[in-house]
Amino acid sequence: MKYQDCKPECLTLKSEAMFTSLQSSSHYGGHIDEVSIIERAKLNPSHFAPLYKKYHEMIFRYIFKRVDEEEAAFDITSCVFVKALTYLHRYEHRGLPFSSWLFRIAKSELNQSFRDKKAQRTVSIDSIQLGKAMEEFNIDDNEHQREVLLKVLPMLKDKQLQLIEMRFFEKRSFREIGEILELTENNAKVKTFRALIKLKELYTKHNPQK
Amino acid sequence: MIKCLIDRKMPSKENVAKRQDFDAVLKKVPRNYPINSPWFYGAIGFSSVLIIILLIFRI
Repeated sequence: MKYQDCKPECLTLKSEAMFTSLQSSSHYGGHIDEVSIIERAKLNPSHFAPLYKKYHEMIFRYIFKRVDEEEAAFDITSCVFVKALTYLHRYEHRGLPFSSWLFRIAKSELNQSFRDKKAQRTVSIDSIQLGKAMEEFNIDDNEHQREVLLKVLPMLKDKQLQLIEMRFFEKRSFREIGEILELTENNAKVKTFRALIKLKELYTKHNPQK
Repeated sequence: MIKCLIDRKMPSKENVAKRQDFDAVLKKVPRNYPINSPWFYGAIGFSSVLIIILLIFRI
């Protein structure tokens, strides 16, 4: 799939005005605006444009960090929005941000791409974040320890890896992690703690210097 | 096998924005045909009941 560059005329003036109001509104007001846009988009999908514009980059970055190719990330992002619009009539606002519903679709589209072998599961880590994470894991930050940590990270179960990735490399809050993974905030905390213990176990086992 | 990539270059905000294409997304969204709508079943159901009543009472 190849996508052409965005044509500015693809967004109607009304949609642009709604997008501006979405950007300028407060967090609470933003939710109300979003809900009204969603209700309108349920009747006419073209009203979804401001939300597409608002969340496209956020969803793309989430996907890009988890796949090895940029083109695949753009394709999966597009699929996420197609799916979101297809099933928008099933969406009910229950106080959670709309983005968490999109992240859940992105998570399921990513899993589908990995199953279909259209993309390879990747963990993208910033070296500064890795250093901070190693501090939190109580591991000395040197070249050898980094190598060991990067070797044991893929040994975690996918769910554990997702928790470590979101908490320590993407610095998401437990509330946000819970919303994306469909867990309560406390459950997200407990599961992240267990994933961290597992990671430390694997690290100790595969680190001959310890 | 899971790949770990360190300090990977992220596409710029402008490049990501350039790749937005809402029209392409809209084109791929399947249309809601009347057969999927509750209105369709309501109309069909109502007509069926009406026909049965007409047949029973031979109006």
